[in-house]
Amino acid sequence: MAKLLLSVFVCMILFSTSALAQQTGSAAVKRAPATHPDLSGLWTYAIDRAPAALKKEVNGTLTIQKIDQSARHGDATSLRGVLPSTPAPSYKPEFRAKVKDLFDHESKTDPVFYCGRPGVPRIGSPRKIVQLSTETIFFYEDISGDPYRIIPTDGRPHNPRANPSHYGDSVGRWEGDVFVVDARNFVEDSWFGEDGYFHSAEMRVIERLWKDGSNLVWQATVEDPVVLAAPWVMPPRLIRPSTDPLEESPKCVERDGPKLLNNDHHLQR
Amino acid sequence: MKHRIPVAASTVLSLFAIASVWAHHSPSAIFDMAKRISVTGTLTKIDWVNPHIVMEMEAKGEAGKTDHWTFESNPPSWYRSVGLARADFAKAVGQTVTVEGVRAKDGTTYGYMQKIKLPDGTSLELVNGADPK
Repeated sequence: MAKLLLSVFVCMILFSTSALAQQTGSAAVKRAPATHPDLSGLWTYAIDRAPAALKKEVNGTLTIQKIDQSARHGDATSLRGVLPSTPAPSYKPEFRAKVKDLFDHESKTDPVFYCGRPGVPRIGSPRKIVQLSTETIFFYEDISGDPYRIIPTDGRPHNPRANPSHYGDSVGRWEGDVFVVDARNFVEDSWFGEDGYFHSAEMRVIERLWKDGSNLVWQATVEDPVVLAAPWVMPPRLIRPSTDPLEESPKCVERDGPKLLNNDHHLQR
Repeated sequence: MKHRIPVAASTVLSLFAIASVWAHHSPSAIFDMAKRISVTGTLTKIDWVNPHIVMEMEAKGEAGKTDHWTFESNPPSWYRSVGLARADFAKAVGQTVTVEGVRAKDGTTYGYMQKIKLPDGTSLELVNGADPK
C-alpha cells in the first residue's frame, strides 16, 4: 500500500511540473530577435537569366510569359543606404593584361562555364534567408549545386582554422538596420565576377543587406590588396520577395565546350 | 529529317541572342545563326540538366536513313520560371514532335531548340522578352 501511495505521489509531481512548463513555456522557447529587421524569406533570382519570354499556344489560345529580371538589371543606385559604386573593379596596372586575357578567352577559362562554383560575391544575393537569434542562414540555387552559408551573428571572430572555400568563412553583424556579412578565406580558383575578375587568397568580401519596404537590397564590396588598386563597391541589387520555393538544381553537364569554334561570349552573371 | 526549313536570318539572330545567356559563350561560337531549321521526328529522351536541358530525337534524313538529333535549350530554372517542368516534355517521349532552332556550325546533328510543337498541338516558343509578339 505504501508503494502504491508513493507511486501516485510521484506521478502527481511529474504531471504538475509538466503542466506548469507547458503553461509558462518561456524558459524553453527560443524567440527570434525583435530588435533587427527580419530578412527571412524567399527572394527572387538576382543572377542573369535568358530574358526570353515563353510564347505558348494551346488549342489556339496564345499566352506569353516573361521572366522577371528586375533584381539583376533594375537600377537600385538611388535607394536609401546605397554606397557609391562603380560598374567594374580597378586592378593594379600589372594585373590588367591578365584580366583582359582571361576576359578574351572567357568561354574557355571561366570555371563557372564548366559548372564551377561561382563563390562569393558572384553568386549574388541569397534565394532564401533564415534569420535566427545567433546565426543567419543563406540558401542559394545555382547550376553548380545549391550552396548554403551559415553566418554566425553572436559576435564570434572568424574561424582561424577554416579551410579555404568558394563561399568563404563568414561572420555577420548589424550596423543599425543593415546586416553586414564579412567573408574571407577563399580559394583562389574562382572569379568574383565575369570578365576575368580573378582574385588572390587575400580577398575579403563585405555584403550589406537591408530592407526597403518589402524588398531586399543587396550590395557587396570586394577588397583584395594584392590585385586591386582599391576596393570595388559593386552596384546594388533590389530583390523582390518570391513565392517560388527552392528546388534542388539538376546536375550540371557542360557539353558545349568542345564545340566552341571561337571565343565569342557574353554576360552570364 | 523531314521538313528542314531555313527561316529568315534576322529573326533567328534576335531571338537566339537572348535565348542562351546562361550558356555564357555566344551562340555564334557554336551555332549557325544565319538560318533556322525545323526537324520533325520521334522524341526519344529528355535530360533535365544544367546548364541546358537536352532533348534527343530520331528523324528521317534526306537519304532515308535515320538521323539522331540532339537539341539543347535554356536551363531548367528558366523553364521552371515560365511554368514548365520536365514532365511537360517527357509526356511526348516516343511520339512525333517538331523542333525549330539553329544547327551547330560543325555540321553535326546538334542544335539549339527555340520552338517545339508537341503531339497534342501545344506550341512552346522562346521569343524576345523585351517585346514579345
